[in-house]
Amino acid sequence: MFRKTIILALALLPTSAFAADYAQTGGSTLAFAGKYQGEVFTGKFPGFTTRLSFDPKQLAGSKLEVSIPLATASTGNADYDGELRGDAFFGSPKFPQAKYVATKFRALGGNRYAADGSLSLRGVNKPVTLEFTWTPGAKPVLAGKATVKRLDFGVGGGDWADTTLIPDAIAISTKVVFAPMK
Amino acid sequence: MPLKNTKEQWGSVSKTLHWVIVVLFLAMAWIGLTMGDMRNGPDKVAIYALHKSIGITILVLMLLRLAWRLYAGAPDPVPGTPRWQERIATLTHWALYALLIAMPISGWVMNSAAGFPLQWFGLFNLPAIAGKDHNLHELTEGVHEQLFWILVVVATLHAAAAFYHHLFQRDATLTRMLPRGPRRTPHPNETRNDVP
Repeated sequence: MFRKTIILALALLPTSAFAADYAQTGGSTLAFAGKYQGEVFTGKFPGFTTRLSFDPKQLAGSKLEVSIPLATASTGNADYDGELRGDAFFGSPKFPQAKYVATKFRALGGNRYAADGSLSLRGVNKPVTLEFTWTPGAKPVLAGKATVKRLDFGVGGGDWADTTLIPDAIAISTKVVFAPMK
Repeated sequence: MPLKNTKEQWGSVSKTLHWVIVVLFLAMAWIGLTMGDMRNGPDKVAIYALHKSIGITILVLMLLRLAWRLYAGAPDPVPGTPRWQERIATLTHWALYALLIAMPISGWVMNSAAGFPLQWFGLFNLPAIAGKDHNLHELTEGVHEQLFWILVVVATLHAAAAFYHHLFQRDATLTRMLPRGPRRTPHPNETRNDVP
């Protein structure tokens, strides 16, 4: 009877007791970098939003959700941006947002973790692993890196598929500053 | 044929540089005038990359040519050339040197100001020589085009003068820049109708 009560009590506890809920605050960035004609270019996704339920001690209940608007993706070069947002690359009129969702987390030792999530981009859903460090505090910080193969998602899949011009691997880096949700 | 320039004729180094640059310039003019109308895409990128690669090649060859010219000198004008023609010819030559060096540099600045990569035939990248700057890009775009048309005028004058010497003066001005060398001056059967 006593044991049953405990189980019942645990089941009734809100999930936030296991994984704290966080929302993104100022100072967060989501950037990408690739190569074009042998030269590195970098860009940003302004307006991306992140929600996180995370407890380093309870990885099982953790969840990361990132929404990435594509129509405002910017490399700082107007010629690139026009192509990037257009049909050949992001196709932002048809696919205005990319979404990354991860529910599987692994501890890599120390404050390092990996999220085995799924990226939805241009109507394609494929696994992408985000490795990150978690810095707890009043405003915890997630700093992570991932590699996305652009051609897996058809980004520049037609005319621009030549990987000697633009290599397949695009590096993603992010720093998200969180505030606890109440 | 000597390597170095003599008083009578151009040596093989100057000749080779002269004609290689003529061919590259003609290719560049054609590419440069047509590439802007292409549809955005990898083909256009490839043509622009080719244009930039040839441009850098011309710049390097011109710098070599300038150094060689300063080291090896130039032949004397063919005998009988009036002094005013000699002066114009010398001026034209130096204008061509200046234009053929200024053209690729203006292109390089333009490319740098646009923030585009500069890769030489896909082998290695060259640095930007100017910061990314929209106004500078617009300015150099105009300069690059104006220099081109000035170059076309000066090069046409230069070639017309060479043909004039060859066809009407019947002297060795043109042939001494040709691979087989000056066959006119020493040719015993050749009668010259422009003996001063």
